[in-house]
This record gives sequence, structure tokens and C-alpha cells, in this order.
Amino acid sequence: MVVQMTMFKRFLLIVLLVLPLASFAHVGSPDIYYDGYAGQYHLLVTIRPPAVIPGVAEIQVRCESSDVNQVEILPLRMVGDNLPPRPDVAERSTGDPQLFTGHLWMMDRGSWKVQVNAYGQHGNAQMAVPVPAVSMNSASMKKTLGGLLGVLGLLLVAGFIGIVGAANREAKLDPEKDPTPWQRRRGLISMGLTTAFMIGVLLFGNKWWGSEASANAKLSYILPHLQASLQAGALQLHLENPNEVSGFTQFGTERPDRLRLDDLDLDHGHLMHLFLVRSDMKSFWHLHPNQIQTAQFTEELPDIPAGHYRIYADIVHKTGFPETEMGEIELPAVAGKGLNGDDSGGAALSAGDKVSELSEGYRMVWERDSAPLKTKQPLWFRFHIEDKNGKLATDLESYMGMAGHAAFIRDDGEVFAHVHPSGSVPMAAAEKAQTAGSTPNSASGMNMAMNHSTPSAAVSFPYGFSQPGDYHIYVQVKRAGHVETGAFLAHVEN
Amino acid sequence: MSSTVVTTHAPVRTSGLVLSKSATIPWYIWSCITASACIMAGLYWDISWHQTIGRDTFWTPAHLMIQFGAILTAASSSMLIFGTTFGRNEAAKRASVNVLGFRGPLGAFISAWGGAAMLVSAPFDNWWHDAYGLDVKIISPPHMILALGIGGILWGSAILILGEMNRAEGSLRRHLQSMLLFSGGLLVILDMVLKLHDTGRVLMHTAYAYMVLSIGLPLWLEAIARASGRRWARTTMASIYTGAFLLLVWIVPLFPGEPKLGPVYQRVTHMLPLYFPLLIIFPAIALDLLWPKMKNLDLGGSGRKYFKIQGLPRFGFEWGKWQQSVLAGIAFVVVMMAFQWPFADFLMSPASRNWIFGTHYLYYAMPPESHEAQHIFYSIEHTTLAFVGKLGLAFAAAILSTRLGITWGNWMREVRR
Repeated sequence: MVVQMTMFKRFLLIVLLVLPLASFAHVGSPDIYYDGYAGQYHLLVTIRPPAVIPGVAEIQVRCESSDVNQVEILPLRMVGDNLPPRPDVAERSTGDPQLFTGHLWMMDRGSWKVQVNAYGQHGNAQMAVPVPAVSMNSASMKKTLGGLLGVLGLLLVAGFIGIVGAANREAKLDPEKDPTPWQRRRGLISMGLTTAFMIGVLLFGNKWWGSEASANAKLSYILPHLQASLQAGALQLHLENPNEVSGFTQFGTERPDRLRLDDLDLDHGHLMHLFLVRSDMKSFWHLHPNQIQTAQFTEELPDIPAGHYRIYADIVHKTGFPETEMGEIELPAVAGKGLNGDDSGGAALSAGDKVSELSEGYRMVWERDSAPLKTKQPLWFRFHIEDKNGKLATDLESYMGMAGHAAFIRDDGEVFAHVHPSGSVPMAAAEKAQTAGSTPNSASGMNMAMNHSTPSAAVSFPYGFSQPGDYHIYVQVKRAGHVETGAFLAHVEN
Repeated sequence: MSSTVVTTHAPVRTSGLVLSKSATIPWYIWSCITASACIMAGLYWDISWHQTIGRDTFWTPAHLMIQFGAILTAASSSMLIFGTTFGRNEAAKRASVNVLGFRGPLGAFISAWGGAAMLVSAPFDNWWHDAYGLDVKIISPPHMILALGIGGILWGSAILILGEMNRAEGSLRRHLQSMLLFSGGLLVILDMVLKLHDTGRVLMHTAYAYMVLSIGLPLWLEAIARASGRRWARTTMASIYTGAFLLLVWIVPLFPGEPKLGPVYQRVTHMLPLYFPLLIIFPAIALDLLWPKMKNLDLGGSGRKYFKIQGLPRFGFEWGKWQQSVLAGIAFVVVMMAFQWPFADFLMSPASRNWIFGTHYLYYAMPPESHEAQHIFYSIEHTTLAFVGKLGLAFAAAILSTRLGITWGNWMREVRR
């Protein structure tokens, strides 16, 4: 087994290289940021899910005020009745008493939530954050560990052969006797046969290992890709479902991580939020196709300039598990109907570092400092809208129940995140998290949703970049009856 | 347990190094037996920990117990091997074997190999968790290396005992025989623990479970029984497993424990034992009862055929041993099924859901819709043909295991170093 390790390691490396950077609901951006209320406690929760399931998720809870004394965290499945395990007490930072951190095991793939229990001056209260738990890939083995295991494995094999030789040569001899030539030859023959046997064992072990790795790879989440085509000015979308695992668990029950396409849930009143982004990042559209049958969606396009477009389609399953399906399409200039309903976008957006021009002389301003943007840092992305005189806008409205929507897209298209003022969690999943499972907690969840739906001239989004690179940030707010899209540039370092 | 020595084979040779009747059991045998017991207790505790609490660290008491056993084995085996190799005790040197230039008793080398395999399995298992996630199954490549390591320590202890036992006489020999049977009992426990997932209550009405039981178990029982020479050896080893599992079913739930992982589908407030022991005691008794009637087949050499290849000594195809294997193998499967099959019906009934039988103790993550939680049987063989086919494999496995056990046991009877 160990002798074959190098070959297997190479195989794993190749698999990892050809795999796309997949992640659930968003692309290449697995970390979860959620801003909400547990009773009266305002909390910002950051969750870094494990790369493989079962695995350990990192949890960070930041209290926006100093009225929380203790934070507990525990994992619960979103689907079905399940009892709470004993909660973990999150460790309070000595340098920052409003920051609590902890770790939780995610034992199965599927739709989970992390329940946060806050204790403080206003008693105890709870909130829940949905966590889609999936295995993303398999880790490769480091050279040093591979070498160490290889050497130890060879020693084990050599020892085993030596023991069998000794057993056949002299183990049955009276202590005063020496082995005869035939007994010595028998020892050698048995060592030869054992060597052949051990080669067989190693080959079997390697095959078994490969089979386990292959079975594990099949359980890894595969980024779904949709098929898109343009027919009579309408975009036709066919979703794929590569993660619809079938079969049963070890307990003979249906797999809880099964994903289906006939169970989509409404998120902000729509089954799908579709983002069309031209590869030069100037033409950006946020549309809401209609489902015509399972896995089939259609959308009458507005006036869209020609070009190569990337497609990101956000859906949420009834289990609260969100997904983003990716696709691409080469579009001619489309002379379509005007934008209607909640559809929005811009054909010639000019992204700025801090300021983005809107219609009627209005401007969107990114309130950022000069500090460089780094990966893995939970940040507040704060924007405000001002009129042509520099005064804060007063005519903002709720856009699909939220103060704003933001899309963080890396320029190569490999990273995408659809974020709300409440964070990177889809609202449908967030609402389900408050009620599903064993501890209904609808009050705090609704409190959170209402808080962020109040429109004002300022809008902020909690988010952190998972990967470095050059990004475009598209921020959408609704003002005076129509949706405005601001575009910003962001360079992110490791 | 009877102490009658059954001399069914040629008498064990004696030599100038036969220990006196008043000699005591060497320290390294105590050490290896203690280590073996610690490892098995730790293994049971670890599985119970996983079923009750779930969360695992390197420093759980169960892991520490296993590690203590491995370290004790490694230390005592190393001392024995290095002491023999580099020491001046010529008698010890003469009573040793040579492995890769080192000298020591064969059992010490096997134990040391087992300890090394356990050590190798630890970083491999850790990487496995990182790469593929924490495993919730017993049978995985790193776990199998661990199991080989534990098996190495247990078998090493047995061979170490045998090396001394086959040179001893009188009360010392009897004591060593008892220790060998204890070691055999631990081997039976290891075998049954490895088969937990495949021989559970819900599978007891499948031929598959009996096939799994027939792979290996008759081998260990037959081999150690032959090596020990005790009249009720198989019954004694099965009793050690049965007694240990019974006591643990009754004692383990007395300690509090609750899940620290999700999903939690079953309310658990106390530590969970593994399960009520399988009724292997009955086939073991049957085999011990059958043995006096079968031993002449072995001794008579009826139908023995020899083959000769130029340059090699002749080797025989011993019908007598095959006849023994067929009889014992069939008896094992038939008696096992005769007792376990109807008893499984009882284990599914509400009458068994109490502290005595413990079928109400359910793993915290056992889904309510699972067969185990609903107390219903799981079907694997959906046709009569499939059932009969698996049953045929069960008989074949039991016969083959017994045959291997006969060869292995006869070899062990003659180990003297």
C-alpha cells in the first residue's frame, strides 16, 4: 500500500488540478457571513466550513455590543427532527471581549445550521445560521509524511517477511539445536512466498485505497453547470444536477444529502436569481427566470449588448441548501423588451475604486479606508448613495425585501458571491434555519430580516474574500422606483 | 474450566531447557497480556465513546488506554529483543529466533511488529481523516493496519506464551495454558468487534451475518484450542467474550455521557455499550463436545495422500483433517444459526429493551426510520437462491477457517522459541 503511495499521490494531484473551484451557493467562496439578531443581541457570525465532511467548521461570533457574556454554539440538521447535542462554549478572545470563537464538527453532508446561544444582560436568546455542508475535495499527502509512511511501511513488510522466515526456520527447534540446511532452505522459501504474498497485499491495499478515494470523490460536491441557449430573444436554461446522490445510508435510510431539482424554494419571491456578466465586466444583469418545468427555466431578455457572458444561477432547495449553477453563452445584441418586475442591470457600467456614477447625477460611494483588502477577513462593505449635490439620498426603497443586493465577482469569473445586508446566506435558507430542526426560533430570525429591509441612504454587506485577485463588486439598490447598479473595483491580496 | 490436558497429538518434546515446576511466569508474558487486555478494553471504550459522545481527540481516555497498551508492548518486546541480542544470557539466545539480525522469542518479534503497525497506522489514519473526513466505519485501510497491529500484539502474546508453555511442565504449564486461553478470548473479542457492523441485530436473519461470522472465528477457536490442549478450550474462549460483553452491557450504562456531535436522533444520557453478545458460546460448546469424537480422524491419518516433487520433501493431503474441518465447520454454522436466529426474534421484541439485554441502547445518530431504531430486520438476500448461496459460502468459510485453524494450531503446539 505504502509503496504505491507516490503513484496515488500523483493521481490525487491531477484530480485536484482539473477540478473546478467548486462551492455551494456561490462559486469559489465557501465561507459564510451572517449578520443577525439573537433576541436583542446583534451578532455577526462567520463560519468557515470544513473542506471534507465529516470535518471541523470554524465559527467566529462577533457581538456588535458589549452586552453578551457568553456564547454557545451547536450544530443541527435543517431537515427532520433532531435533538441538540451538548453545546460548545465559544472561547472569548482576551484581546477583544466581543469576539467569541469555536469549532464544530459537521458529520454529514447536506443542509445544516449552527445555532448560536447568546447569554448576557438581556437574558439568553438564540439565532441560527444555515450551513451547507459538502466535501469539496481530498487533501493530497505531503512528501515528508508520504516518505515517512513509505519507509515505515517497508520496515513493516521486511519485518513481517523476517518473522515468517524465522517461524519456519527455527521456531519449533529445541533450544540446543541449530537449524538444518533443509530448515534454513524452508525459511528462505517461506520468505520468498511471503514476499510474493506481501506484494499481493500491497496491490490489494492500493486498489482498496483507490476504491475508497474514488467513492469519496463521488461524494465530493460538483459545481453544477447549466446549459444555456437563446431562442427568439428568450434565454433558455437547463439545469443539471450532478450531486443527486442516490442509495441509502449505513442505517438503511435515504441519504439526507440528496439534492433534487423539483424542490426549489422561493427566495425573495423568485425560484432563481440569474446573474449575467459579460467577460469585460461592464454589462451586468440580475434577472429572475420563470420555471417552465423541473430543471427548465426561461427568461425574456431585455436589451443586452453582444458578447461572451458568464451565467450564475442561484437557487435554494426546500431543505435550505443553496446552489449556484454556472454557465456561459455567446450572445448577439439582443433587442428585447424593457426590464420588468425585479429585473435589473446595466449595459455599460463603469467601475470605480470608490465612486460609481448612477442615473440622474446620483452617485454610490464605497466607504473604504486605504487598508489593502485581504483574504479570510470578515469585513463590512459600506456604501451610501448621494444626490448630485452630495446629499444623502432620501428616496431609497426596499429591493426584493432588502436594502440592497451585492455581487462579488472575480474578473476571471471563477469566484462569485451573491450577498445581502444580512450576509452571504440566501434569505430563504436563513428563514428556514430559524424554524427548521429542533429549536424553532422564528422571532429572532424575523427580527433580523426586518432590520435589514429598512431602506436608507446607506447599505452595508458583511463578507470576506476567500481567494485573492481582481474583483468587481456590483451593488444594487432601489431608488425612486427603479434599481440602480453601482460597480466597484477591488484588488484582494493573500 | 477444566484443566485436563488432552494428549491428542504426539507428546510435546522436552529438552534440557524445560523449566522447573516451580518456575514462575516471566515478566514479559505478564506485560504482554496486560498490554493486550488494555488495548481490547480501550478499543471497546473507544467505540462506546464514538456511539455516545462522538467527538474524538487524541487524548480521549479510550485512546490513552490503547496507546498505553501499545507502548507497554513496544517497551517490553524491545527490552526482550535487545536484551537477548546484546546480552550475555546464552540460554536465552539459544531459545530465540533470528529476525533481520536480532534475536529474541518469536512472540516478542510479532508483538513488536504489532506495536510498530499500530504506530504507523496513527499518522496514516490522521491523514485519512483530513483527506476523506472522519470515518464513521470500522473497516478502512488505516483501521485495518491498526487492527493488524492489535492482532499482531495479541498473537505475539499468544506465541510468547506458547514458546514458554511448550517447554514447561506441571503447574506452570497449566497457568500458561490459562493465559493462552485468556489471550485467545481477547482474539475472539477483537474478531467480534471488527465484525460489529456486519453481524448486528438487524442482520441476524440474513445468511450474510453467519457468513461473516464463519470467516476467521472458527480459525482462532480451533488454533488456540489445539495449541492449548485444554478439553474445553473453545468454550473458555467464547465464555471470555460472552462474559466480557455481558458485563459491559450491564456496567457501561451506569456512567453518564451525552452527544457532543450532531445530528442527534436518539436521546442519550449515559454511555452506550456495544451489544448483547452473540451466542457463539453454543457452537463453541458443540465443537468442544464434538472434539473427542473427531480426534481419531486427525490421529489415524485415514486416506492420507502424499505428493512428491523432485528436490522437495513430500507433502500430504490429509483427509482426516479435512473430514474434521467439514464436520466442525458444518456444526459451527448449524449450531450458531439454531441459537442465534430465534434469539434474534427475542432481541427485536419489546421484552429485550431493558438493562439485561440492552436493545434499547441506540447510537445517538441512529435515524428514527432506521431498521435498528424500529427494531426490525434488514433484508440483504431478496431471493431464496441468494440466501442459499450466502449460506453455502458461510459453510465453506467455516470449513476452510477450521482447516486453517487445524494447521495453525498444530504448528503452534510445537513452537518452542
